[in-house]
Amino acid sequence: MGINERESLLHSSVDKVLVIEGTHAASYAVKLARVQVISAYPITPQTGVVEKLSEIISHGELSAKFIKVESEHSAMASCIGASISGARAFTATSSQGLALMHELLHWAAGSRLPIVMVNVNRAMAPPWSIYVDHNDSLSQRDTGWIQFYAESNQEVLDTVLQAYKIAEMVLLPVMINLDAFFLSHTSEPVAIPRQDVVDEFLPPREAPFKVDPSDPHAFGALIGPDAYMEVRYKLHRAMGDAREIIRQVDTEYAEKFGRSYGGLVEEYQTEDAEFILITAATASSTTRIVVDSMRSMGFPVGMAKLRVFRPFPDEEIYKLVKKARKIGVMDRDISFGATGIIYQETKAMLYNSLVRPPLFGFIAGLGGRDITPSTIEEMFNYMIKNDRPESETIWVGLKHKEN
Amino acid sequence: MAQYKFTSVEEMPPLALSLDSTRKISTGSWRHVRPIYKDKISPCEVGCPAGEKIPEYFDLVREKKYERAWYKILEDNPLPGVTGRVCYHPCESQCNRAFYDEAIAIHSIERFVADQNLDKHIPHLAETVKSEKVAVIGSGPAGLSCAYHLVRRGYRVTIYEAEAEAGGMLRYGIPQYRLPRNILDKEIGDIANLGVVIRTNSRVGENVPWSELEKFDAVFLAIGASKSKKLGIEGEDLEGVLSGVDFLRKLNTGRVPEVGKRVVVIGGGNTAIDAARTALRMGKDVTILYRRTRKEMPAVPEEIEEAEKEGVKFDFLIAPLRVIEEGGSVKGIEMQRMQLDKPDESGRRKPVPLKGTEFIVEADTVITAIGEDPDLSFIPYSFLKKGLRIVVDESHSTGVPGIYAGGDAATNPYGTVVDAIRAGKEGAEAIDEFLGWKSSKSTEAMTVVKSGDINTFYFPHEKRLKSPRISLAKSKNSFKEVNKTVSEKRALREVDRCFSCGTCVHCDVCLTFCPDVAIIKDEFGEYKIDYDHCKGCGICVSECPRDAMELVEEELQWV
Repeated sequence: MGINERESLLHSSVDKVLVIEGTHAASYAVKLARVQVISAYPITPQTGVVEKLSEIISHGELSAKFIKVESEHSAMASCIGASISGARAFTATSSQGLALMHELLHWAAGSRLPIVMVNVNRAMAPPWSIYVDHNDSLSQRDTGWIQFYAESNQEVLDTVLQAYKIAEMVLLPVMINLDAFFLSHTSEPVAIPRQDVVDEFLPPREAPFKVDPSDPHAFGALIGPDAYMEVRYKLHRAMGDAREIIRQVDTEYAEKFGRSYGGLVEEYQTEDAEFILITAATASSTTRIVVDSMRSMGFPVGMAKLRVFRPFPDEEIYKLVKKARKIGVMDRDISFGATGIIYQETKAMLYNSLVRPPLFGFIAGLGGRDITPSTIEEMFNYMIKNDRPESETIWVGLKHKEN
Repeated sequence: MAQYKFTSVEEMPPLALSLDSTRKISTGSWRHVRPIYKDKISPCEVGCPAGEKIPEYFDLVREKKYERAWYKILEDNPLPGVTGRVCYHPCESQCNRAFYDEAIAIHSIERFVADQNLDKHIPHLAETVKSEKVAVIGSGPAGLSCAYHLVRRGYRVTIYEAEAEAGGMLRYGIPQYRLPRNILDKEIGDIANLGVVIRTNSRVGENVPWSELEKFDAVFLAIGASKSKKLGIEGEDLEGVLSGVDFLRKLNTGRVPEVGKRVVVIGGGNTAIDAARTALRMGKDVTILYRRTRKEMPAVPEEIEEAEKEGVKFDFLIAPLRVIEEGGSVKGIEMQRMQLDKPDESGRRKPVPLKGTEFIVEADTVITAIGEDPDLSFIPYSFLKKGLRIVVDESHSTGVPGIYAGGDAATNPYGTVVDAIRAGKEGAEAIDEFLGWKSSKSTEAMTVVKSGDINTFYFPHEKRLKSPRISLAKSKNSFKEVNKTVSEKRALREVDRCFSCGTCVHCDVCLTFCPDVAIIKDEFGEYKIDYDHCKGCGICVSECPRDAMELVEEELQWV
């Protein structure tokens, strides 16, 4: 743990420090956010999130309605109903569960509902796997949800609190992703903030539009070609506005709670770096160690942790490419027949940029395979050795027949 | 409808939202089925011979309206304090909750309601006073019930009772530890208060001539069955042999019968159990001998258990051969082992003797309780008899115009207190019709709620109320009432367990679930469906925890 993190545990905003799993860090955040309606369907490795929440509610520590449902589709439908009536709503899911919600993810965003969801990243089946990769959430790229990826349990808690603030400001739903098992089932010290400070940061929701049975209106109804496009444009613009809101909220959060995550992208040792690896989620922690050790051997390497995938951090990426000679992207996902998804996005963003360093797309850690320091070293070494990538997808750690 | 004309994206709301109220869109026209509130009948109500409206009075208990709950029971049964104590509660064996965890302890709630109203009296309810007069012979449960239902209809009713006090078997058969006399006296007193004339010590055919009945417009024979069946064995007439009915009658009239130390009771019905538990309370060593097994005993299972707990011994598959005499008194009884063969006409397996298994049970007193028959020999009317009982039709008519019969003296139904109450009620209805006044009997056949119709999601599992009782040490040595009335708190908890099958209790589930907000609660707390907006999705009906709603097809309308 770095000195910063140690200090943040002693910050005046801290009520207590608990050693808890990532799932429970999400639950405590939901409690602190005074969420009013929770609806979820259990799926490994998400179960802990709602298990803890049902306990918290049954102990009377949170005055919320917990709606049990028969599927993730219904869970999201319940959240939409709750949110449309003005309540602060929450759900959590993972993998196939998220996929089952797909239709309603569009619904939530299209209705501009500030729902917050925790998704525990788990590989899609078949073949069945309960371990991490990011294909489940990245497949939901175009639904209109803001997407965060967390590196630590503390970041999970902090991001959920930030998410409600952001969501209610820009009227968009937010998904917070955390890696299966590496976060969901691993205990870490987490600073639980004081309720009064959270209340100050996150006042009760005030919905500008909500269902009122005494004055019923149609929500999300049919709209003609003369107006549909404008509504879509507004959603897209809200996503754009969200970039600045995310940065502002992160700054405000740092002032109140003493912790910042750099807004959309957190840079590590990039100031004089020639080789920068773009990472996401828990593999970032391992990358920090590799960066330190390679730097001690004289290699000018650095890391940029992508914290927000939607809206895609355009300015941050432009800034980054001006610094580095070569950029690598580590994808824990694959768009079959194309490339890693984050690589693809980064590459697309840079096409019209005047500065375009060579871009390397690495695929690693699918279905929970460990991304070890040597996996990451291999990526840096590849970037150092090769002027350009030999292929659009460089699979690291793939088992080949030995010659 | 206002049209929203926008010229720029900046003017538009961020989401598709109607500016006008959607109230004006009559989505009810989409409907092809409509939900309606329709109360159905609960299986307990069907199971209750007296036809008590159990869910309705439970609902009143839930609201702590104990007097109104009592009135609700009184619509069908004037003796809830009695039946709450001694009824074998066939309602409970029909209870839908039994399929879920355990049946509701309905009898305990009935007793609770009756006991909450011990200081009140049945109000005069008759709307009209009629000139017709009806005579009721016998003041047991059938006679009392018939008189009560007639007097409520405005008839002038006289009960002729042969004994010194009214009550029949309730007074002379059932021991006080099961039915304290103050309860019986109170409920009979209430019936008399309504204007029923009860002439005790009046045995028709002896000190009252049959001709006296000619001035009545109808007669209800409710003379009961008080003649003990004979064993038909040697030594039965000895002094130490007495019938269960006589034994109980003596005790209940204050003449303590002479009983030896070792008592054997022959039989397996309620009289046998009552006699055994009574003898036990007199400090005797008591054994019940029954020719079939415990499973076939006609007595109420709870009573058998109580007897066993108190120390009554049992021996099964055993039948008497002869009573053994020594010096003019009973010394024992010779018994024979039995085994069960194929079922007989009662549906129970028939006991057949096992040769060479004769043995002697030592005893000082033998009490016989193998059933009772009515004594019809003194009745001058010519009606059909089946065995020793008066044959009656469904309306309890004997076939002789104006002469009705019910209770243990008649064929259908008989056997228990509540069957007699039912017979009295039905007899009163039939007499009402016979005398030309409109019968109040409802002819509409209602649907009975089945266990599968209950939405058990709404009912957490909870244990059935256990009747509180005095300690065993206290009960087996005294004639104090064994069972106690439940506390208000416990009664309310038990009432909350009730599914209220088919009866709306205003739980608001329909209102909560209606996706169209088309269910409205009016100022009286009653639900109204806004059919202009109800789309007929049926969610209210499928969510209703107690099946008090249903979906009916809309009639097609061709415009």
